[in-house]
Amino acid sequence: MSRRRRLAAAGIAAASIVVGTAATVGYGLATGFDRAARKADLPDVVAHFDAERRSALDARVRALPNLASRSYRREIGGVRLIDERGHFLRRGTIHIVLGGRRGYAITSGHDLSRRPGEVVIERGLAQQWRLRPGDPLTLEGFGDLHVAGIALSPDNVAFPLARTARVYVGVQEVRDAFDVRGEIRPDIALLWLRDPTRADITLAQARVTSFGIGSLSFVTREGVRVLLSEAAGIVISLLVAFSLVALLAAGTMLAAGAHADVQRRLGAIGVQRALGFKPGAIAARHAREAALVALPAASSGIAVGALAVAGPSSSLLGALNEQPPGAALALPLLTGLAAVVALVTVAATWPAWRAARRAPAAILRGGDLARPRRQAPRGRSARGGLLALGARFSLASRGRWLASVLTIAVSAGVVILMLALASLLVRLRDDPGTVGKRYELTTRLDRSLLPDVQGLPGVRAAAPRYQLSAADSFRLGQPVRLIGYPGDHTRFEAPPLASGRRLHAADEAEVGVGLADALGLRPGSTLAVQASGGEEIRFRVAGVVRALENRGRVAYVRDTPLLAADPRLAPTLAIRLTAGADRAEVVAGLTALGAPPARVGGATTSNAQFLGILAAVLRGVGLAIGLVCLYALVQALAITARERRGAVAVLRASGGDQTTVALVLAGAALAVAGPAALAAVVLERAALGPLVGSFAAGFASLKLVPTPAQVLLVVAGLIALAAAATTLVARRVMREPIVVGLREE
Amino acid sequence: MRAAIAACLGAAALAAGCGADRHADPPPGSTRVATLVDGDGDGVLERGPGEPLRDRSELGGGGRPIATLATFAQITDAHVRDEESPARVPFLDRLGGAFSPVFRPQEALTAQVLAAAVRSLNRLHPQAVAVTGDLADNAQANELDAARTVLTGGSVHPDSGAAGYAGVQETDNPDPFYYRPDNDPPRHPGLLDAAQRAFDAPGLETPWYPVLGNHDLLAQGEAPPTPAIQAVATGHRLVESLDPGVRPNAHTNAEAAVAAVLASRLPERTRTVPSDPARHLLSPAETLRRLGRRGRDGGRLDYTFDIGASVRGIVLDVVDRAGGERGLVTRAQVDWLRAELRRAGRRYVVVLSHQPLTRSEGGEAALSALDAAPRVVAAIAGHRHRNSITPRRSGPYWLVETASLVDFPQQARFFRLVRTAGGGVALDTWMVDHDGAGLAAVSRELAYLDAQGGRPRGFAGRPEDRDARLWLPPPST
Repeated sequence: MSRRRRLAAAGIAAASIVVGTAATVGYGLATGFDRAARKADLPDVVAHFDAERRSALDARVRALPNLASRSYRREIGGVRLIDERGHFLRRGTIHIVLGGRRGYAITSGHDLSRRPGEVVIERGLAQQWRLRPGDPLTLEGFGDLHVAGIALSPDNVAFPLARTARVYVGVQEVRDAFDVRGEIRPDIALLWLRDPTRADITLAQARVTSFGIGSLSFVTREGVRVLLSEAAGIVISLLVAFSLVALLAAGTMLAAGAHADVQRRLGAIGVQRALGFKPGAIAARHAREAALVALPAASSGIAVGALAVAGPSSSLLGALNEQPPGAALALPLLTGLAAVVALVTVAATWPAWRAARRAPAAILRGGDLARPRRQAPRGRSARGGLLALGARFSLASRGRWLASVLTIAVSAGVVILMLALASLLVRLRDDPGTVGKRYELTTRLDRSLLPDVQGLPGVRAAAPRYQLSAADSFRLGQPVRLIGYPGDHTRFEAPPLASGRRLHAADEAEVGVGLADALGLRPGSTLAVQASGGEEIRFRVAGVVRALENRGRVAYVRDTPLLAADPRLAPTLAIRLTAGADRAEVVAGLTALGAPPARVGGATTSNAQFLGILAAVLRGVGLAIGLVCLYALVQALAITARERRGAVAVLRASGGDQTTVALVLAGAALAVAGPAALAAVVLERAALGPLVGSFAAGFASLKLVPTPAQVLLVVAGLIALAAAATTLVARRVMREPIVVGLREE
Repeated sequence: MRAAIAACLGAAALAAGCGADRHADPPPGSTRVATLVDGDGDGVLERGPGEPLRDRSELGGGGRPIATLATFAQITDAHVRDEESPARVPFLDRLGGAFSPVFRPQEALTAQVLAAAVRSLNRLHPQAVAVTGDLADNAQANELDAARTVLTGGSVHPDSGAAGYAGVQETDNPDPFYYRPDNDPPRHPGLLDAAQRAFDAPGLETPWYPVLGNHDLLAQGEAPPTPAIQAVATGHRLVESLDPGVRPNAHTNAEAAVAAVLASRLPERTRTVPSDPARHLLSPAETLRRLGRRGRDGGRLDYTFDIGASVRGIVLDVVDRAGGERGLVTRAQVDWLRAELRRAGRRYVVVLSHQPLTRSEGGEAALSALDAAPRVVAAIAGHRHRNSITPRRSGPYWLVETASLVDFPQQARFFRLVRTAGGGVALDTWMVDHDGAGLAAVSRELAYLDAQGGRPRGFAGRPEDRDARLWLPPPST
């Protein structure tokens, strides 16, 4: 294989690595929940409530329309788990399985049988504590049991991403351990529906027949998906979006590379046409050659990309209690392969076809598809030195220059995006602003000191935040949290709207999805709550928001109705900081005012292992993108050097050494890398960041803005890649005899 | 051979055909042609195949049907409801049990459903239609007037109070136990306004015969109207719910609870609604007058009517005027019944009441009277909103109960009495779906989904309780 072909193959392989990584990460994350839910037979609706007599409960449940089947469990939280290696967990959750469909899949071992001493544990716990079927496990109160099986149930993220680990025991185990003689009353109902798309109708009927059942809440399968997204800190949406962007970058680069290759071979095409070859035959030959190069290169690239991120991607899915795609991944990878090969083939064939259709003489006259090369104005060629000369070489072919700049800009833009994403992950952990809360500190302070707080350096805004716990007016047992601000609450808390609009008046409310589901609320309906004093307050629902607080059983209102209901209600002060404010300074200022503040926590996990997994995924994808950038630069320089063979030979014949040549090539490289870096920043700020953020907008408003340091890092990386490309190409040029270049000139 | 031809010709006069198979031909519009089924259990009713007549031969009989003696239909428990009336207790519905019928998601559409059933029956051309009680829901004048207009034909005005809907199903009612069509799934925006609009009803094209039910005479079918209840009904104070602190349960005495609520003896949450004098509860005498009937002995609507030359219907009014939903058959009624059975002579007899005689105080005496009459074919009732057919072996005759129009399956019942070649008769019966035109389709959808309604409670009954051929042996005399 010629060096040029090897270079082309390397480029295709580099791009295919991106395709492989993107397909693996993207497909795995996009389909992981559904795959796990299918495997686990996850119920369409999970209802939690205060424990009820099973017969009375079942009479109501089986009356629901669209119901396929049902089963029940009893949940006991806060149970200590201990294994023989000394692992200890204070917050185990036991699910007593009361028969029927399970709603989990056994991935290893077997399900609960009638044999005594059995426990089924969730996969996260098994992996974290390295437990296998047959291993002993001690449950507080139950004594020593042994692991019968390991279960997968994607109705929550896995331990330790979830704070509690779930284990399942049978009824007999409970009877034996606690000498329970009577009925074990269920407090969880698992419902499978005939048509899950009509779950809203089933839930509406469940609600109207639930009188007397306390603390009822529903989670639908779709709701679980949302919960998982919340728990994973939006990362899923972002990575899926990122995969799409990466595919775009790879496509741009492949098309540009193939186009440049044909331009390089215009002379040969002209000769073939002169010898009587027809345009179709020439194009077909190009297509065949391109496919022969593309197929192995793309195969290996995609395989490398997939393998590079398979491990981290699988771990990520495991942490989310989802299921890796396994053999199902072959389809998207093969689709990616077919797309890459097709793209390369078409990209190589189309310019060849266009060129071959022209008269042989016109082709042989050379140039970029017969476009007459513009002469540089006299006197300018001497100015600017070797770097400028290289830049002019690069700019001489505007189309190729543009393609190279675009390719590198998109790739670098993605890298910047990835760095911004990494920052976002940290912010998600530390900064509540990314998940709907926009204030960072709270404190208790007399309202008269509010102006003093607002005047503190670093404080952007401060306002009293009233919180009132109320009951729904119909004794559903739904604790409702009312949060009131004196004015526009979105300055401090702005969970994204799921439907409707923001509240505009004192008799309006924005309600959380959890509350809306429980009380059948939607924009336009009425929320009635009872304050602790017994007074009823009614609000018109303006919007439904995706709030996390209190499992979504929250309503945002103005402060006046809350104060009318309870004039003695004491607020906390919500404090929003300016961007880049010194938090410590603000804390000190508040402390000096006699109000030491509390910090508001973020919503995502601080689990180091999980963040490590995410970092591994990002590293794998980032490596592939870096290779794309390097290839694009090398290719751009190689083509420039090839086209300017004569000029470079003259330079060398005039005494120019490798440094001289390298300076010319460096000029050419910088002419591509410089604008590409600039374009990358613009691209990320104007397009990629908002695009990716919009994918996650269902949950939160995200701003993927890179820091100056991140931008500098990417620019430095590009310069380093340009230097590497220059070195590689300069070495190659210097190995070529001067006379070859002079002969062309 | 001559006899067979003669029999064939006789049958042709009514059945437009000849031979036993002709008598089994499903008439158009009945559930024997097609009915609504939820084949995949997803809560959506779709057109499904018809149901065949199941042979019910527990009482003997048999032989080839050779002539149709009479056809008639039964409409029962339409519960045409003034859903805006203050004299209602829908908030007790959530307690379930005996209270579950006091609110229905489809309750604003009862007049439209009755009209849809009338249209379906008109297509089947019965010789008579028996309306076996609970035509109205709350004994109110405007309810009975609307129902009567649907049956006789004319412009029906379902609205009451001020124009437009004012009741517990309004969107701004925060009570999540009510179905609010603008708000709750399945959403039907504008349904309540549409339900209040006047519409033209064609009326039955055949004579119809009313039977009184407890809801026709008693408040909420439970309590006798009192001045206090009348004041609530015609007033402007609508009780939306009990105070949350009041927690009656499903075992609470329904009659006492309804009376207490309507007499405002319990702490309640109320709102003001436009009053309407047309909501006043009718006395039994007023009810009879509006139905164009005269009461017998103490104002009871006991009477007879003929369906063709071969069949006589005997109507028993078993509503206990003292209150409660259970039926009451007095000794005087039993005597009257015996006399009417004798007077029927060689006619076949069907007895019609609202509450099944088996579930009425004094009902066993009435059944004994029927047992002694050789040509009783069936005792037909409604009230329980459930399809059921059981043999009365001591007769022999059939005890037929029919589903309501208000709850799922919202069906009427058709009867055809045929003479058989063996000298006996067979009572063919099948259910009739209403035509589902306009709002009636929404009503059926909501009734089907209702988790306290006829679907989960099995009101449709077994297949043999719906479309069946009820064989009877030749009468003993």
